[in-house]
Amino acid sequence: MSSAVKPGKYFVQGDEAIAEGAIAAGCRFFAGYPITPCSETSEALARRLPEVGGICLQMEDELASIHAICAASVGGLKAMTISSGPGISLKLEGLGWGIKNEIPIVVVDVQRAGPSNGVATRVGQGDFYSIRYGSAGGNYGLIALSPKSTQEAFDLTIECFNLAEIFRCPVFLLADETVGHTREPLVIPEGSSLKVIQRIKPTVPPDQFIMYPLDTPQVIYYPFPNIGEGYGICVSPYTHTSKGYASTSQEIQEKMAKRLVLKIIENLDKLVRVERQYMEDAEFAVVAYGGNARPAMAAVDMAREKGMKVGFFRPIIVWPFPDREISKVAEKVKAILVCELNIDGQLSREVARASQGKAGVFHLGSGGVEPHFPAQIFNEIRRLYKS
Amino acid sequence: MSAVGETLNVIHPLVSKYLRKERMPHMACPGCGIGQVVHATLLAIDELGLTTQDTVWVQGVGCSSRITYSTWLGDNVDAHHGRIFAVATGLKMARPDLNFILFTGDGDCGAIGGNHFIHACRRNLDVTAILFNNGIYGMTGGQVAPTSPIGAVTTTTPYGNIEDPFDMCQLAVAAGASYVARWKSTDFKPLINSIKKGIQTKGLAFIEVLVQCPTNFGRYVLKTNQPQEVLKWIKEHVVTLKEVKNLRPEERQGKYLIGEFIHRTDRSGIVERYQELLKKYKKD
Repeated sequence: MSSAVKPGKYFVQGDEAIAEGAIAAGCRFFAGYPITPCSETSEALARRLPEVGGICLQMEDELASIHAICAASVGGLKAMTISSGPGISLKLEGLGWGIKNEIPIVVVDVQRAGPSNGVATRVGQGDFYSIRYGSAGGNYGLIALSPKSTQEAFDLTIECFNLAEIFRCPVFLLADETVGHTREPLVIPEGSSLKVIQRIKPTVPPDQFIMYPLDTPQVIYYPFPNIGEGYGICVSPYTHTSKGYASTSQEIQEKMAKRLVLKIIENLDKLVRVERQYMEDAEFAVVAYGGNARPAMAAVDMAREKGMKVGFFRPIIVWPFPDREISKVAEKVKAILVCELNIDGQLSREVARASQGKAGVFHLGSGGVEPHFPAQIFNEIRRLYKS
Repeated sequence: MSAVGETLNVIHPLVSKYLRKERMPHMACPGCGIGQVVHATLLAIDELGLTTQDTVWVQGVGCSSRITYSTWLGDNVDAHHGRIFAVATGLKMARPDLNFILFTGDGDCGAIGGNHFIHACRRNLDVTAILFNNGIYGMTGGQVAPTSPIGAVTTTTPYGNIEDPFDMCQLAVAAGASYVARWKSTDFKPLINSIKKGIQTKGLAFIEVLVQCPTNFGRYVLKTNQPQEVLKWIKEHVVTLKEVKNLRPEERQGKYLIGEFIHRTDRSGIVERYQELLKKYKKD
């Protein structure tokens, strides 16, 4: 494992850092479909995966690629796919299969301006809700991490793979074009210093093993036996019993739905990761995520230079949403400005919900193409701070 | 004479050996042809000495899949509708040492999953795919399929089907599958031999079986609920690859060709080619 990691200091794009993060996390199967702005990850993995004995395929479409990675994971390989905008819409079909069967996979979304094809080469942040709720049928929890830099793209990709194994579920890396295409320093440490969670294997014989722990829905670190290991597993698109048999019973449906939700929300303490700056004495907070956190942070610095008591808050694990942490921010400050690259106000809506009316929540949106500029955000801070 | 209940308790030796007893009886309608094909598949598996440890059953969605899913005593992987070949690609690439037997339907493989099917043939993925062609959407209640005959009255073609049916075997040959054959469900011996050949062939083996669906094809297209009537219709609409040479073009209209379309051993597939690539580029 460790020999697959190439320690050193690099000057690369976020997309390439994602590829190296995947390899360091033990990803040995990648299936993709070309799409801007993340083809660089596919290209990097096409070179790198064979070197480490892994498989990299370009499939006929996005549907095939997500189904193939789910299947490869069922076959025992850590697996990943990547896409953007219209490709993510297609991935969501296969995502449901992965969620329902509790298959550990990583899906990367390098967001671009939408809807539909939008502007393929330019940034947007419109997939915040669609990755969370887009797979039809509901009844599931979802984990998504969002990097702001090339270094985080590497680090959080590894974290995504670990969480996928711990929670037995698909995990999203919710990046954006700014992160994907920003070329900046990346430090890859020695492989041995990286925390990597391997596939957890059953310790009981097949006849005693319960494939889907419907009666202990909160359990995590639960084993996933692969095909060909004698466990006779059953994976399907249907509501399943603990053995994986299709069921139409309301009781089983209820138990399965609870399992898919409770394994996430009963373990929220393991899923809180946020960045706070200048929050100790803050009277006003700026919230942003992903690549757009960078101009937001720069604007907060500008405000501090002007003597304004402005703090900065960034969810790193964006799903499950850090309700409690946002609530604490709302208790502390008079108003919160949410900066994001969509006009409809997605992150803003979550912040407003979690704030429970304790602070005013304002949305600074943009349709994308350009990220926010620090001055733009600063002007909005100044306007709201005065009022 | 034994009572009916006792008769039902007799377990077929192939079921004991390869299937999950708790999943029996399967959910096929009375008179359905899928059971015959599963029987032929189990005999082929048995004759080749495959086991529940080295063989995985893979399904899609539809009668083909819903009836066979989670019946295999080994591993069962059932894909979303149409995604069976994409799933099989991930499975086989991850575990090239295992045998994968795919059960798909004419809707699953010929409509919603058509593109994945074409590309699996092009990659010549080393799996054995059995297509149950009943000429209609059975599980959803008798809607027109891409394999329904022209003129067929179904629940979604009340005025008759105006589209020509899809020949999935010709498609598989053109796209590059190593082995392609079509049989009727009643061609029991040729079918067993064909499945055996398919499993032994490197690359994608595609075996289409015309199965009788009295419940929907019979009811809507042929206006009968009798399996033997549907079987009779199938028999009247097939010609062997030998016979077809003597037919005039107008006599070929609406006929299903039966037999082996191709059996090539000269075309390697993605599984072997990837292994070769790894030998060359893998660094220790």
